Amino acid sequence: MTHPVDTILSLALLSVLFSLGTSHLTGLIRFVAFQGVVVSIVPFFIGHEMTGGGLLFTMVTLWIRGVVIPLSIYLVIKRVAIHREVEPIIGYHASLFAGLVLIVAAFVVSYKLDVPLIMKSVLLIPTAITILVTGMFMLIARRNAIAMVLGYIMMENGIYLVGTTFSTRAHRIVEFGILLDVLAGVMVMAIILQNIKQKFDVVDTAVLRTLKE
Amino acid sequence: MIEILMLAPFLTGIMAFFLSRSSGRALLVLTGAFHLGLSVLIWIKRPVALFPDYFAVTPEGLLSLLVISLLFFLIAIYSTGYLKAAKIKSEHIFTGSMLIFLATMTMVTMSDHIMVMWIAIEATTLASAPLIYTHRTKASLEATWKYVLICSVGIAMALLGSVFITLAMDIGKVDALVSFSALTSVAKQLDPMWLKTGFVFIFVGYGTKMGLAPMHTWLPDAHSEAPSPASALLSGVLLNCAYLGIFKTNKIMHAAGLGDFSSTILIVFGLISIMAAATFILKQTEYKRMLAYSSVENMGIIAFGTGIGGIGAFGAIICLIHHSLIKSSLFLTSGNMLLGYGSGLIEKTGRMAKLMPKSFVAFFGGFAGISGFPPFGIFIGELFIIVGAFRTGHFFVAGIFILSLCVIFAGFANQVMKISFHDTTAEEIKITEKASMVWPQYALLLTSIVLCFWLPDSLYQTIIDAVANIGGGY
Repeated sequence: MTHPVDTILSLALLSVLFSLGTSHLTGLIRFVAFQGVVVSIVPFFIGHEMTGGGLLFTMVTLWIRGVVIPLSIYLVIKRVAIHREVEPIIGYHASLFAGLVLIVAAFVVSYKLDVPLIMKSVLLIPTAITILVTGMFMLIARRNAIAMVLGYIMMENGIYLVGTTFSTRAHRIVEFGILLDVLAGVMVMAIILQNIKQKFDVVDTAVLRTLKE
Repeated sequence: MIEILMLAPFLTGIMAFFLSRSSGRALLVLTGAFHLGLSVLIWIKRPVALFPDYFAVTPEGLLSLLVISLLFFLIAIYSTGYLKAAKIKSEHIFTGSMLIFLATMTMVTMSDHIMVMWIAIEATTLASAPLIYTHRTKASLEATWKYVLICSVGIAMALLGSVFITLAMDIGKVDALVSFSALTSVAKQLDPMWLKTGFVFIFVGYGTKMGLAPMHTWLPDAHSEAPSPASALLSGVLLNCAYLGIFKTNKIMHAAGLGDFSSTILIVFGLISIMAAATFILKQTEYKRMLAYSSVENMGIIAFGTGIGGIGAFGAIICLIHHSLIKSSLFLTSGNMLLGYGSGLIEKTGRMAKLMPKSFVAFFGGFAGISGFPPFGIFIGELFIIVGAFRTGHFFVAGIFILSLCVIFAGFANQVMKISFHDTTAEEIKITEKASMVWPQYALLLTSIVLCFWLPDSLYQTIIDAVANIGGGY
C-alpha cells in the first residue's frame, strides 16, 4: 500500500527534475520553496508524536524553510535582477539527465542501506538523497551566484530530511538552533549577493576569480 | 558561570553596533579583559555547566578557551592602535562582529552536544564574514563570498556526518545523550559502519573550516583580505575551533576501537596539507597570503600529529597552542607592514630591519618560531610528532613530513629575507610604531618562549587529559 507521505514526496522528486531543467531564477526559487514545504511537513506523517511543542516547531520550520528563506532570496532577485538566467556551466538537458541518473542511483543506494526506518515509506530516503545531491550539483553546475545560494538551500533541505528520516531523538531546541543558523546563513548570503551586484554589476561568479593561489 | 562567558561578549557585541568609535574600542578591550579573567577562573574552578546536556567543561575545550581568551585580549589592545591608523569606515560593525565572533568561538569550546557544536561552528562562520568584508573592496567581497559559501557547504557536510552518528546510535540501540562525552563512554556499542561514515563527513566538513588541503581554498583569500586583527583571530583561534570538532569525534573513534581508520585519514590529509602549503609558499608574492599558507601547513602538522597518536598527539596539542600564539603575532605585525608600506606585495616591501625596527623584531621572531626554531614551542611540538611517527613505525610518512618542512622553511626564509633586508622603493614609512601596536606581538612571542621552558603542571595535566584517550602522553 502506498504510504500517504509518498504522494507528496513523489511531487518533491518531480520538482527536483524541474529545478534542474529550469533556466529562470524565479522558477527555481518556487521549486526550492516547494521542497522546503515538503521536507517540513514530513514529520506530520511519520512516527513523531505530535505534542503542542512539536506542532509549533513544525509550523515554525514550515514558515522558515517554505516562506522566509525563499522569500528573502526572491527579494534579492527583484532588487538585482537584470539577468534572470541561472547561467549554467552544465547545460539543462545534461543536468536533467544527471538528475534522472541520480534518482535511480538514490533508489539503488537506499535499497542497499540497511537502515531501520521509522516508517514504511519507500520514497523517503531516495528523496532525501536526491535533494541533497541535487543541491551540490547546482553549486557546481551553475555560475550565477543566486543559483548557487539556492543550491545550498536545497542541500540543507536534503540534510534536514535525512535527519527526520533517521532519528526521532533530536531535541527540539537543538533543531531550532540549526534552523536559525541556516536562516542566518541565507541572510548573510543575501547581503553578500546585493553587495556583489553593487560592486560588479552582475551576479555571475565568473567575475569572482581575481584571487588566486 | 560558563554560560556568562558566552553571553557577555554576545551582549557587548550587540551594544558595540550602536557605540561611537572610541567607546567601541574601549568596550573591545574591556570585554577581552573580562573574558580572560573569567576563563582563568573557569580553568581553576572547573565548574559544571548549567545545561549539562549541551555544554561541558572538557580539557581540550579549556585549552582552546584559554588560548582564545588570551589572544583576544592582546588582539583587542592591538586593535585600538590599528583602528586609529587604518581609518575603517564602518568601525562599529567591525568591533561588534569581533565580539560576537568571540562569543561564538567560546560556545564552540564549551559545546558537548554534537549538534550544538555544529551550530556554534556555523555561527563562527557567519559572525566572522563581516570582518573579512571590512575594507569594502572588490577583492574582499570575493573573499567573503568564497568564505561563506565554501565553509557553509563544507560545514553542512559535518551536519550530515552528525546525523549519521545519531543513526549509528539508533542501529546500535544506544540510549544516551548525543554528546561527545556520553558517546565516548558508550562508543563500543555504536554501529561501526555508520560511525565511520559519520567521521568521514565530519572530517571533511570541519576540515574545510580548519583549512586542510584540498578544502583550504577559501583560507588564503579570507586571511589576506581581512584586516590584520581579524586575520590574527581567524588564523590563531578559528582554525583551532574547527579542529576541536574533529578532535572530539576522533576521540569517539578511538574509544570505539576504530582509531586506525581515523588516524589514517588524519595522517593522509595532514600530509596533503603540508605538501600543498609547500608548493604554494614557494611562489607567493603577498606576505599575508604567505602567512595564510603557513597556517594550512601548521593545521596539516596538527592533523598529522593527531593521526600519529601517542606522543605525536601530545606534540600536536603543543603545536596547536604555539601556532596560535606565534601566527597571530605574525598577522598583527603584517598589519603594521600593510599600514607602513601601503601594499601587501612582498616586492613593495624591504629594509624592514631599518625602517620599522620594532615590528621587525616581532616579525623575525615570529618567523623563527613558526619555522620550528628553538626556543619556540613549535620546535618541541614537531620534535614530538617526529619521534611519535618513528616510534609507531611510520618511517616513510615521517620522511615526507620532514622533507616538506624543509621546503617550507626554505621558501619562507627566502621571502622573509627579501622583506627584511632587500632594497625598497618605499623611502618612508607611513606610520609610527606605537607601543600598542608592537607590545601585543612581543607578549605573544614571549608567552610562547616561556611555555617552551616552563610548562605549568596544571597545563601539562590538562594536555595529558585531553590526549589520554588517543594514547597520548610521553
